[in-house]
Amino acid sequence: MDIELICLISMLAAFLLANLLLKLPVSISMMVAAVAGALVGGQGIPVRHLFEGAFAYLDTIMTISCAMIFMTFMQESGALEALKTAIVRRFHKVPVLMLFLLTATVMFPGMITGSSTAAVLSTGALVAPVLLLMGIPKEKAGAMISMAAIMGMAAPPVNIPAMLICAGVDIPYTGFAGILFLLTVPCALICTLVLGLKYCRNLSLEKMSDGLDTGIGREYGFRLYVPAIVLVILLVVSRLVPSFPQLGTCLIFLICAFIGIFTGRRFNVWKALLSSMDDTVPILGKLMGVGMFIQVMTLVGARGWIVTGCLGLGLWFVLVSSFVVLPAFGAVNSYGAASVIGIPLLLAIQRGMSVRSVTVAAILAFLCCLGDIMPPTALAGNHAARLVGLKYRKVFAHSLLPFAICLAGAAAVLFLL
Amino acid sequence: MKKIPVHIITASILSLLAICAVVYLAVVFGAARKAEPIYPGEGVTQVRMLSEWCPSLKGTAGDTEVYVLDSGTPGASMLVLGGTHPNEPAGYLSAVMLVEYCRPSCGILYVIPRSNNSGFTCTDPLEASPMTFGIETAGGVRTFRFGSRATNPVDQWPDSEVYIHASSGQILSGSETRNLNRAYPGREDGTLTEKVAFAITELIKNNYIDITVDLHEASPEYTTVNAIVAHEDALSLAFLTMWDVEESFRISADESPRNLHGLTHRELGDFTDTLALLMETANPSQGRLRGRTDANLVVSGQDKFYVRAASYDAVTVPYDERGISISERCARHVSCLAAMAEMSPFVGEGREINLGDMPAYEEIVANGIGYYLHDPV
Repeated sequence: MDIELICLISMLAAFLLANLLLKLPVSISMMVAAVAGALVGGQGIPVRHLFEGAFAYLDTIMTISCAMIFMTFMQESGALEALKTAIVRRFHKVPVLMLFLLTATVMFPGMITGSSTAAVLSTGALVAPVLLLMGIPKEKAGAMISMAAIMGMAAPPVNIPAMLICAGVDIPYTGFAGILFLLTVPCALICTLVLGLKYCRNLSLEKMSDGLDTGIGREYGFRLYVPAIVLVILLVVSRLVPSFPQLGTCLIFLICAFIGIFTGRRFNVWKALLSSMDDTVPILGKLMGVGMFIQVMTLVGARGWIVTGCLGLGLWFVLVSSFVVLPAFGAVNSYGAASVIGIPLLLAIQRGMSVRSVTVAAILAFLCCLGDIMPPTALAGNHAARLVGLKYRKVFAHSLLPFAICLAGAAAVLFLL
Repeated sequence: MKKIPVHIITASILSLLAICAVVYLAVVFGAARKAEPIYPGEGVTQVRMLSEWCPSLKGTAGDTEVYVLDSGTPGASMLVLGGTHPNEPAGYLSAVMLVEYCRPSCGILYVIPRSNNSGFTCTDPLEASPMTFGIETAGGVRTFRFGSRATNPVDQWPDSEVYIHASSGQILSGSETRNLNRAYPGREDGTLTEKVAFAITELIKNNYIDITVDLHEASPEYTTVNAIVAHEDALSLAFLTMWDVEESFRISADESPRNLHGLTHRELGDFTDTLALLMETANPSQGRLRGRTDANLVVSGQDKFYVRAASYDAVTVPYDERGISISERCARHVSCLAAMAEMSPFVGEGREINLGDMPAYEEIVANGIGYYLHDPV
């Protein structure tokens, strides 16, 4: 047995031991697993590698933190409540159209930023109360939001896993829009219907009006929505106008959160900040733990063992493993899946099949994005579960059917195009 | 009442451990900021700084040495870029070898061993790269830094999610914002990385550089490897070089894609009069199939997973248990550079550059690259 495999098994065993038996948090368990792997691999306690790995996702961590602050401020100012009321009053007669519009609303920030987290924590937070008000159970509402956010992350114009794969094989990120649109929009609509169609029947304003607070909207009016509108404008302008200063998603979220302090109900800013961080720290810890885990996997060769193992299975197994390993690696990180496994898989598939690089890269990137529902990291899923007030495992169970639909969609595109 | 002291003790122990780790790490990462010496050889007539071509670089981590090897005999000028990606050590070492060993007999040679100087001060997270590696020389082992593909985020941060290449509008993933080889032709008022690219472009324009060669390495599974990638104007030089070295080793010549922007072989060819080329050797220590990652892998290039991958045709270069050593990779670069110089009278304006008495490919492989480097002092 390869020493690299022994290291990998040790890491997994240490993780399970720490997380399930000792009941340590996922983040600490990941660190324990990393140390165990390094010890078995003869690397001692690799302080430098643990530190370097912990900082690998610093940019993502900052985006999540800033988005969470924005979302909390929107909630505290009453903007979410008012928007919920406005959407229901306007669209309750056409509930299916309302569902599609809500799905598109969740997708939009993902399309612009390439981040499912940004989508869930911005427009996902606006949409969640409406879905619940429609009578959709919390677990299904959470699944709808996380799937829509992931489809947004995968949709054009910005698909970061596709960009990472392109960078790895030196092909330009052009020609992706059509194929990504074909992959994401039908899948998003079908997933929405599968999860929500049942609840569109017999929908009446009277039934829903109990959950509506019309007062806040009447009191503050249009200005409640100013932070969300500024958010969308800044995101779009910073992408479409190269001469516009690149503020970055973090700063855009913070600017809009700041505006939110003055546009609605008054609230204690310090308490809101603390509350947003309380909710976020466990997820940030997971990302740091995951970074340590991957860094040590690479150090001891376990990463190479996995990648080489996948490539050595022949074309059909490579294809199958793409559909399994890429989303599964999302349990660690979807961007990591693209750069670590996506690139060698693309090269292997290109060698065995006569199919356009752009098509394969787009499909692989789409599969990587699906990893954002995979626990324990599950960036989209965990945040969506928090929005609806549930533990993620319940939301995850309802995400599996839409997940399978997306896999089938990707397979259909691969073999039909 | 019992819990409080327990918490204080636990917190104190953890805080103390954290402080110890921070102090230790400050020393470890601080050491990466100290550049290892490069010993100018007899051929070096001048050592300039890149900031001479972009004054705003002065005093920043992007400023770096430009070694000038002027033969004194009029001829062509050639610029060699090493360390564009500091995680591709054969490019860097080959440039160092030119500075320490080469004595041109005709024309002027410019060498920038650490083109992305900032990238030498850190390593890439998740890649678990060694921070240094050792090369055996006649006088002992010389240590060189293994860096990052990109500018140190301490010097340029944060990245936006999407990198928009300034002159073409091409969009790339945000992580490419700090990649020097996506920043050309650069901007004088841009990011640190863009300023470095701008300075190199200005150097080429102001010094009428005839030939520019950017030395790189790539994963053995990558499609463009053991290759010369040339701007369309430099394609004839690439083919002449390929034929010149074919008795010693195989190398391909590929035309630079016209729709992939920011790279030396595209932008320097488009924006200046130089013949722009880039060379790639196969480096297992940066590949995604590699096993245990350490300094030995960087130097020996031996990896059991690449041997396995080669057995089912998943790598694009010949690979066996012997690996692809750094000496072999440097030998490829140096031999191709010598061949390009030899072919210089047949391309462009017909001016000649002669690198003097350079070792053959077989000699470098047999003696090791350290044989041609200065002893450690």
